[in-house]
Parts: sequence; structure tokens; C-alpha cells
Amino acid sequence: MAAAGQIGESPLFLMDYLLRFLRVALLLSIWRLLFAGRGAVSGMTLPALLTYTLIAEAFAEPLLCRTEIVWAFWDGSIATRFLRPMGLFAQFAADAFGRWSVGFAVFSLPLLLCAPLLGVNPLPASLMAGLLFPVSLALSISVGLAMEFIFMALAVLFEGEIYAISRVRQALVVLLSGAFLPLALMPWGLGKIFDWLPFAAMASAPLRIYTGTGRPAWLLATQLGWTLLLWPLASWLWRISRERMVSYGG
Amino acid sequence: MADRGPLSTLARLFRLWRLYARLDLYFVTRSFRTFVVWYVTDMIFGVSAISGMLLLAERFAGIGVWNKEQGLFLLGYAATVTGLLEIFFGFNVAFISRRLGRGQFDHTLIQPQPVWMALLTEGFTPFAGSATLVPGAALLAWAILHLHRTLSPGWLAMLLVSLVASTAIFLAFQYALGSLAFWAPRAAEEINSSSANLMGQLKAFPLDGLRVLLMGGLLTVLPVGFVAWAPCRYLLGLTPGFRAGFATPLAALLLGALAALLFAKGMSHYGRTGSQRYSSFGHRR
Repeated sequence: MAAAGQIGESPLFLMDYLLRFLRVALLLSIWRLLFAGRGAVSGMTLPALLTYTLIAEAFAEPLLCRTEIVWAFWDGSIATRFLRPMGLFAQFAADAFGRWSVGFAVFSLPLLLCAPLLGVNPLPASLMAGLLFPVSLALSISVGLAMEFIFMALAVLFEGEIYAISRVRQALVVLLSGAFLPLALMPWGLGKIFDWLPFAAMASAPLRIYTGTGRPAWLLATQLGWTLLLWPLASWLWRISRERMVSYGG
Repeated sequence: MADRGPLSTLARLFRLWRLYARLDLYFVTRSFRTFVVWYVTDMIFGVSAISGMLLLAERFAGIGVWNKEQGLFLLGYAATVTGLLEIFFGFNVAFISRRLGRGQFDHTLIQPQPVWMALLTEGFTPFAGSATLVPGAALLAWAILHLHRTLSPGWLAMLLVSLVASTAIFLAFQYALGSLAFWAPRAAEEINSSSANLMGQLKAFPLDGLRVLLMGGLLTVLPVGFVAWAPCRYLLGLTPGFRAGFATPLAALLLGALAALLFAKGMSHYGRTGSQRYSSFGHRR
């Protein structure tokens, strides 16, 4: 249903993905420009960085992990979601998977297939990295979904502006997760600090595992730790905040 | 409505801007808490849009041929353009596909004034919309001071002209693409969000070193190169020659004409089909 809703009434939805192709090409060019004449920087070589960027873009939707919950608050449809015979978390997670499947089919797969044309090796650093990546990606989605529900529960709890809080979450995730800029390349040792935040478990961890630029055991352990910590928190916050929910829309 | 001379039109524009500025002030003072939440949010969002490149410029002491101060000038310029867009074209005026797709354009059409005048004025939010302009202009001013260049009136005039032209290019692109919502209101309703996101993400990227085809595309099909990169290269002397300074204003004129043409064609179509807001497949079905 979510996939059908995303495709909509015309092939215009493809334009979004075409624009994303341009973004990838530009990002790759920026890295080549910055790394021209340089060797490894903070343990990252240019080929590893290009693969990091390509995989980050190919899996951008699950790594940034946005659901439709903010729009459900915005247009008031959250009220009817409570009437469905299914948990709220499960509804929005299933919906997100449906939308991601469209993106994976029309953007991620073609991008990965075109990678050699862009001069990028799309393969993982090793067989082990390739095997561990799906595990890490699953944990990344788990942390991302927990964060999504925590932010929304906080918005309800403090009677805040849902859309505003959603924008803050988006800004924080893009900057702190390492999805755009690898944390290792940040100045002033910021990356070492951000490594300890849950945002790093969302994108940086699986991407470092894939490109062989981090210790897999440690990265997986931090992801698992954040999952175990954040889900009970998300569940508790929803339990105490759901009755304060106010929804308008229409 | 009788007197339509240029001076009268200009006076009316200023009266409307003053009116919308007052309404914006009422909005800000009505609920200060709400205003602060939105303002801080917008500021975080605006700063985060350029923070990646900001961190890279610091880490690599510049980006390619751009030294650190020049890189910060580029980022400040790009943020200022976004800030101008948000101040002058708020309330989804810059996201015209949303108004079209949701059938809200009818509200503009029934007003006793030209459509262009309504669109040019009713999105004016100098207080609530300044969250991106303030840090952007501050960064731009900081970079100018640290570039140690002589600030001639001519250079400042070119900076101003370039900023206006870059803003116009961003807006024209939004209208050219957003006009698709005249024909496909549902599919294209949110197309301006995607295009604005992309322009927002790429506006501060230096395009030096790109292959000719890609650079050509980023100066025509997706004119993000004119939002900051090309005018900044001229203003900082990285592209020599006096004529280079006119590239951005010329591009603004051409893209503006194209956007106006597409929008007029869309309006003509709209005149036959009308609003789909309340139809069985409309936004408010």
C-alpha cells in the first residue's frame, strides 16, 4: 500500500530519484577534488570514501530512517491509526518498509549497477564485511525507528510543534550520523565524540563495516547497546505521552 | 485599482510588504513560545544545511581552489540566498506546487490584484522568516572581513545584484518545476520539496573539477551552480573578467522567462480544468 501510494498517479515520482542521482555524482566529485594528491586521511582512502558515499546514498532511506508518523500528526490521520488492529510502531515501520522498497528498486539497485561507470567499487571491503553489513543495517534501522518514536513522543509530551521537532531530528541525523560526512573526517576531533552518540549507530556503523574502516565487533556492540537502551525508552515515553496527544489536520 | 503607473505599482508593493510585515509581527508576538520553537528550529535546519561543507573547509583548510575564507564566503552567500527566499517567499509561495496541488491557488486568484503582485508580497515574513538569513549574513560578513579585500561600492553593488539574481534563479527553478502541479496536482504537489531539498543540499558545493557534462547540467537543467558557486567565483576574482559578473543576472532573466512561460501555460490549463481540491481524487477528498 505504501509503495503504491508513493508511486501515485504519474511517473513524476521518478524525478525525485533522478535528482538524487545528480546528488551522488556531485558528492563523488567533491571527494575526488578534496582528496586530489592526498593519501589516506584519518584512515580513509579515496576508494573507501567513494564506496562509503555510494552505499550511504543507496541505503539513504533506511539509514536516515524516517517514517510517515510526522505527516500522520500533521494531517490528523494519526487518530485513525489508533483504531487499527495493529500496534502503532508496527504500522509505521511496515509503511516505511513499503516506501523504501520502491526507492530500492528504482534508485538503489540502478545506482549500485552503475557504480563502475562512476568509477566506484560498490563491493564490500571483504566477504566478512559483506556478511556483517545486513546485520548492522538491521540494527541501524532498529535504532533509527526507536529514535523516530522517541522524538515524536517527546513532541507530544511537551506539546511541541511536531513538524519543527521533526526538522530538528532530520538536521541532527544528517550531521551527526555520518551519512553525509564520515565522522572520521570531522575537524577538532568531533568525530570521536559523535561516535558515542546513538546517531552514529544509525549510519556511520554499517557504512564503516561495509568499507572496512572500523572494528566490526565494537560497532555492532554499540548498535546493539543503543537498541537495547532506546526501545524500552521509546515504549515508556509513548505509554506516558499518548493520552496527551492532540491532533488537528483536515 | 485605477492608477496603474509604475510609481503607483511600486508604492502599492511597499504598502503590501508593510502590511504583511505587520501581520508577521502579530504572528511572532501572539505566541512567543511557538515563535521561539520555530525560529530556533529553522536556524538549526539552516545551519545544518551548510555545516557539512563548513566542517570540510576547516578540516582540509579549504576546498580545492577555494581557501578557507573563500569557502566560508561561499557558504555564507548560499545561506543568505536561502534566507532571502524564506523572508520574501514564505507561506509556500516558494513551494508553489503545494499551493497548486492542494487547490489553495484559488485563494490568490480571487484577490483584486494581479497574481504576480500577490505572489511577490503575501509571503513576506521579515521576522519569522529571518532564522536562516541572520546566520547566513553573519557568516558572509565574517568572510568578507577576513578576505582582506578592498570593498568598493561597485563590488558591493555586484554582491547585491548577484544575491538578488541567485534568489531569483532558485525561485524560478521552483516555479518551472512546480508548474507541473497544474497538470498533475497530486503527483507534483510535493515536487518542490524534493527540488528545494536538492538545491539546498548542493547550493554550497564548489563545482570546480566536475566533468563538462555534469557541470553543464548543474548550470542549466538543475541551475544550482548559479545559486552560489558561479557568482562567488566572480565576486572573489576566481573567474576573471568583468563580463563574468553578468552571467548570474543573465541566467536569472532567462530562467525567469522560462518559468513565467511554463506558469502561464499551466494557468491556461487551469482555466479549463479548475481546482481539483474537492474532486474525488483531489487533496481534500
